[in-house]
Amino acid sequence: MTKNKKWIILFLLPGILLFSFVFLGPIAVLFGTSVTDWSIGKDISFVGLKNFTYLFTEDKTFMDGLKNTIVWIFLQATFHVLIGTTVAIVLAKKKWYSSAIRTIYFIPNVISSAALGMLFLCVMNPQYGLVNSLITKITGEGFIQNWFMDPKSAFFAVTMTWLPYAGLVTVLVMAEMSSVSEDVYEAAKIDGASSFQTDIYVILPLMKNIIGTSVVLASTSMLQKLDIIMMTTNGGPGSRTMNMPMYLYKTVFTSNDYGLANAQGVLLVILGMIVLKSIRKMFNMDAKE
Amino acid sequence: MKKSLSKAIVLLLALTMVMSLTACGNKADKDTSTSNAGGKTEETSSEPVEISYATFMVGAHTSAAAEAEVISAFNKKYEGKYKVVVEELPSDNAFVDKMKVLASSKTLPDVLIGKNGIRELAIDNGQAVNIKPFLDEDAEWMKFVGEDAMNYNMEEDGSVYSVSNQRQNIGYFYNKEMFEKAGVTPAKTWDEFMSNNAKLKKAGFTPLALMTGENAWTTNLWLAAMIGTDGAEGNAFMNTSYPTNYSNSSVIKALEMIQTCLKEYTTPDAVGALYANAANNFEQGNVAMIANGPWMCPDFTDETKSIPGFGDKVGVALYPEDGLVSQFEVGYILCTNGKSKEEQKGALEFLKFKTGEYAQSVFLEKAGVLPLTDNVKLSDEYKAANPILTDLINLSGSAKYTFQNIDNTAFTAIVDETAVRYPELAYDEITPKEFADKLTKVAEQSKK
Repeated sequence: MTKNKKWIILFLLPGILLFSFVFLGPIAVLFGTSVTDWSIGKDISFVGLKNFTYLFTEDKTFMDGLKNTIVWIFLQATFHVLIGTTVAIVLAKKKWYSSAIRTIYFIPNVISSAALGMLFLCVMNPQYGLVNSLITKITGEGFIQNWFMDPKSAFFAVTMTWLPYAGLVTVLVMAEMSSVSEDVYEAAKIDGASSFQTDIYVILPLMKNIIGTSVVLASTSMLQKLDIIMMTTNGGPGSRTMNMPMYLYKTVFTSNDYGLANAQGVLLVILGMIVLKSIRKMFNMDAKE
Repeated sequence: MKKSLSKAIVLLLALTMVMSLTACGNKADKDTSTSNAGGKTEETSSEPVEISYATFMVGAHTSAAAEAEVISAFNKKYEGKYKVVVEELPSDNAFVDKMKVLASSKTLPDVLIGKNGIRELAIDNGQAVNIKPFLDEDAEWMKFVGEDAMNYNMEEDGSVYSVSNQRQNIGYFYNKEMFEKAGVTPAKTWDEFMSNNAKLKKAGFTPLALMTGENAWTTNLWLAAMIGTDGAEGNAFMNTSYPTNYSNSSVIKALEMIQTCLKEYTTPDAVGALYANAANNFEQGNVAMIANGPWMCPDFTDETKSIPGFGDKVGVALYPEDGLVSQFEVGYILCTNGKSKEEQKGALEFLKFKTGEYAQSVFLEKAGVLPLTDNVKLSDEYKAANPILTDLINLSGSAKYTFQNIDNTAFTAIVDETAVRYPELAYDEITPKEFADKLTKVAEQSKK
């Protein structure tokens, strides 16, 4: 037992050390400097909770970013996972097209976000974009809509660059479904359940854990979303598509205000922890087997 | 037996990992510290001193060819002594962002362009070198930099942290054929300008190549011109560094005109478009006017960018009220504080080369970049081959109002704010007054 402990410590040590240097250290610095006034070339001075107060009481852009981030987390946790799970259930029927569709559906997950951003800029271009051209073709009337820049459609357009493409969720759920014993399907069949009823009342409950994991992955991805927003709208028009990572980035690179940016970083970490804890609780993921 | 085998494997793996990491670490050291030729180890002194340099003038950038030629000429001239190691960044924005990251860790390259607040960060972090003493002691270099360019970059305490790389005279280019068909000539007043836009539109042409993405360059040039020609007050505003009050009548009036232009007189993709979109629209003969500098001139005769014969169709004009953006670029900074003497010397030599007579001539010939002083002469052959640039130089003498552009005078956050607010202005979600107030708020915040 003692020998085992030694080995456990030996194997864990490199990981723990790396984690401490790469994550814990910077996180400690992040929390420490979030209560300071800090920018390049100026001495750091302690300002207490001033940065946080400013963000919540005076900074409308931050509040818009916070609101958008929460809405996007909700949409990812619900619609995105729902779409991915539905596609997985359909593809699990192993029809002739399943393999091809699964591969095609996964494509947005393997393309770099920057390339994907450029792709959507072209597809939704008001002058020659595919979307406007298709609508023009269908309606027979010239249709011009600046999807990313019209304040009325910007949020929707940006959301559409990631919400429907749930390839990762599909792959995860399909992998879990493949581990369900054939006996379960047979038992359901003997009990007179239709294919649809089997999926809804038998298979789906068995997928609870992987769906919970997918919800965690999909939601937390919204806490890191930056590149596509930067490529398409840069957070605009105004702050309609601003989110927390984007605003943090701007606070550092356009305002050179590291203290304020780190206060946002702290709030981002806290939001992440709240999201994670809520989802784990919702799916009862912390309960012992 | 089994246990000792496991132990041996673990030890072996750990040893391999440590050795590979050590080898990785040592390789770089060896490469830079010694070289082994024929079994004899030589000291690094025989290796050329490497000067790190970052640039965005690569790929399809209008100055890419000139940039490559100047760097290559320097490396050839100082072969064996100095070598410029270039880090290429694909766009202005990528360059600015990367350099700001490097500034925060005090690892800026030895020489780089200090635009969009990079120079200020380099001064603040202690990397930037005061170049004034070197300018004072080198009369030949100073002759081609010129007093005006030096004074432009001079701090209140008399130090100079950057050497300009170009003089900018920026008016606007227009499609003569479209103007003729619409029966208009370059406007003398802003009322005439708006009336010209209406006439061009009526004749079936899109008047303006605007863009509000990136730094909203072409749109902000028009905005600067509208403000800078609005009497003495507007002109003073556009010649003020880092103004904090945008809520004045000149700015609001200009934003009203920009709002009309965005709504009525530009392409459907202008709101949110990149510079490339606007340039492409003009060079493909889809749009009648674009505000931009003379570095665009070589593109007009480049058939990979413009339609055949386009160069003959382009004219250049001052802004209404005889306005002209006339300024020096922030230029190059030297970030060698704390470096070895050899590196400092090499980087300074490169800076001199990059801003000296040869580089200015190459940039003029290949990229249409105006030299800093009249000491770099424009030959008659050059003038004949570049009529648009020559016209602009001639016109610049008759400018009544000269002013700077927003990129040069405003905080970086202001430029960013204009880019995200223009869509709101174009879609009537915000009034020009509210737009100006938001700029004021951002400027006040930036000043802190």
